Amino acid sequence: MTETLTKGFSRAGVEALSRLKDEPAWMLEKRLAAWELYEQTPAPLGRRGDLGILQRVARYHFEKLAPYATNGHASSNGHAALPTWESGLLVQHNASVIARELDPALAAQGVILTDLDTAVREYPDLVKQYFMTGVTAADNKYAALHGAFWSGGLFLYLPRNVVVDKPVLARYLLDQDGGTSFAHTLIIAEASSQLVYIEETISSLPEGATALFNGAAEIFAKAGAQVQFNSVQDFGPGVYNLTNKRGVPEKDAYIHWIVADLGADTTFANLGTTLAGSGSNGDIVGVLFATGDQHVQIQTLSDHENLSTSANTYFKGVVDDAARVDFEGLIKVGHGAQQTNSYLSDHTLLLSDNARSESIPSLEIAANDVRASHGATTGQIDSEQLFYLMCRGVPEDEARRLIVQGFFEPVLDKIPSGELRARLRASILRKLTKGQQTMDESDWHDVTDQWDIEGAGEEAAPMLEGDDE
Amino acid sequence: MQSPVQTTELVIHNLHAKVEDKEILKGVDLTVRKGEIHALMGRNGSGKSTLANVIMGHPKYEVTEGEIFYRGINILELSPDKRARLGLFLAFQYPASIPGVSVANFLRRSLESVREGYNPTAPTAPTGQMEKRKGVPPGEFRKLLQDKMELLKVDRTFINRYINENFSGGEKKRAEILQMAVLQPQMAVLDETDSGLDIDALKIVAEGVNALTGPNLGVLIITHYPRILSYIKPDQVHVMNQGRIIRTGGPELALELEQKGYEWLTGASDEDGEASV
Repeated sequence: MTETLTKGFSRAGVEALSRLKDEPAWMLEKRLAAWELYEQTPAPLGRRGDLGILQRVARYHFEKLAPYATNGHASSNGHAALPTWESGLLVQHNASVIARELDPALAAQGVILTDLDTAVREYPDLVKQYFMTGVTAADNKYAALHGAFWSGGLFLYLPRNVVVDKPVLARYLLDQDGGTSFAHTLIIAEASSQLVYIEETISSLPEGATALFNGAAEIFAKAGAQVQFNSVQDFGPGVYNLTNKRGVPEKDAYIHWIVADLGADTTFANLGTTLAGSGSNGDIVGVLFATGDQHVQIQTLSDHENLSTSANTYFKGVVDDAARVDFEGLIKVGHGAQQTNSYLSDHTLLLSDNARSESIPSLEIAANDVRASHGATTGQIDSEQLFYLMCRGVPEDEARRLIVQGFFEPVLDKIPSGELRARLRASILRKLTKGQQTMDESDWHDVTDQWDIEGAGEEAAPMLEGDDE
Repeated sequence: MQSPVQTTELVIHNLHAKVEDKEILKGVDLTVRKGEIHALMGRNGSGKSTLANVIMGHPKYEVTEGEIFYRGINILELSPDKRARLGLFLAFQYPASIPGVSVANFLRRSLESVREGYNPTAPTAPTGQMEKRKGVPPGEFRKLLQDKMELLKVDRTFINRYINENFSGGEKKRAEILQMAVLQPQMAVLDETDSGLDIDALKIVAEGVNALTGPNLGVLIITHYPRILSYIKPDQVHVMNQGRIIRTGGPELALELEQKGYEWLTGASDEDGEASV
């Protein structure tokens, strides 16, 4: 069965979608309010003389897309590649959620995992209280479009003190030409609860086809809660990927974002933490790898609103071929946010003369007892490093690969999940070899495996160095 | 020049090389045979390190005249990795650090390449395809590494560190000699391996080099301090000045240089002193 609305986006489309979902009036009101903002808000076009990524987004043929469409014949791809889940699972295929699972032991403790459409009906009070208050329709035009046309996505509620340390997995698949996914992730972690969450976005589109992923994620972490949100964006060609993610940690809570952007033609990703509670923490670890004609715009925000909060944003990106990456990172420290610690760094490695990157870190500080700093580097493969490796018998292409792997290694090392690290290494290797080589992750392990040499050098005197230069 | 015999000699003939537009090597002739130890001495800026880099094929230098033969092959046409796979090795004066790549795993990969060797007459692999490496079994590699680390008194934590990253000057030099010990080249160029070492570290490195020398290894030691030559006995000593070898002699030449300084041979004052390049 296929349900579709008229192509393109309109107020009538919003109403039709809400009717189709048999939604309560309050949700329709939210959708229409977002739609009005969408109509009033100009598309962001970026800075004068920038790399033109937002302009490319603005030129996208939104009018040719189906705002809500499910594929009757669920592609086998969606199932074949399903990850093993441990605590919980949600799978969305284009606009429709097709699978939901939750460990019964967690359900018995009061954990709720469902799609957001169901949550609107069954848990209206929670949804009303939190939905689109972290990411808001006023954030940017695409967040407003999301607010008007959101569909599916995940609702996850953790009661006080519940620990979900084995990951909940969510997988979003796009495989329909002109299709869209407006998945909305809403995570509410009550006081002292803990969650590990992994989402993966993938696609399998026919040659020349296009599809839009316009997703949003909101995390509300109550006092002392800890949420680790892992996101792997590995869309294939043809996908426009526009996302807005916001975490709001209350007192002493911790939100840890780990994001990898590897695929999609064009990405515009907004990612931020509003450090609302005193003593709250919000870290972001990011991995980017853009090749071919990929355009990636990342905007991060560490918004310090309260006392004694800390945040560390750390991105590493590799840009090859004619790809473009624009990184804008902002640290904002409000009047009352004394004793803030905030760091922001972004490092880019350019592999081709046609690759372009810009990095704009900035600070807005309104308090006076603050430690905040940022750093950005952009460079190419160092010819001395290359010569050194080649002098040891390693051919040039492999030496370049080693250097790139080594560049990513410190950031991969910060990813807690071993499974996810392995997944990213495999994807990075595939991109490094332009997909020509079927390589498994063991090729990477060659570089990073720890060796234990029993007894070697144990009797050796401490190194005596005389740097007489 | 007559065709050199098929041997493990390194034959440098009338070598001229420039960097950017500056000619640095102005006609170098030098032959190092298997089993011999040669010392190349000279002031900073005389062209010693340039020669080392040109032998391995550093892309920064352009050879404008002359040849370098190794095993009868004109290696100037080969990329650095192929030169290494023929059996050449360079211990760097300033080794590059490679963040994110550990010493042990890189060295294992390197050993695989070097063992595979290079045969200039073998058909080349189709472009875009990686050559299939013959693996070095982990057990064998571990044993080899362990032996060499004991020989060079290298701390075991060393091997899981990233290559040269945050290594002290002495650690870098020791890591270079460790790599040489594991890779077992037939012709090694040691570029100022002694500089930056105090006397104890120098002794360890020199003992390591001595343990590796033998009838199957040719060594070219580049230095401007005669000090290391009291630990490693050269068969021949060459003095380089302004891009040429101006004097060749036996070990006694090093002693004479120590007493008389370079101006004894070059006729000019030793304006560089002991400063490093």
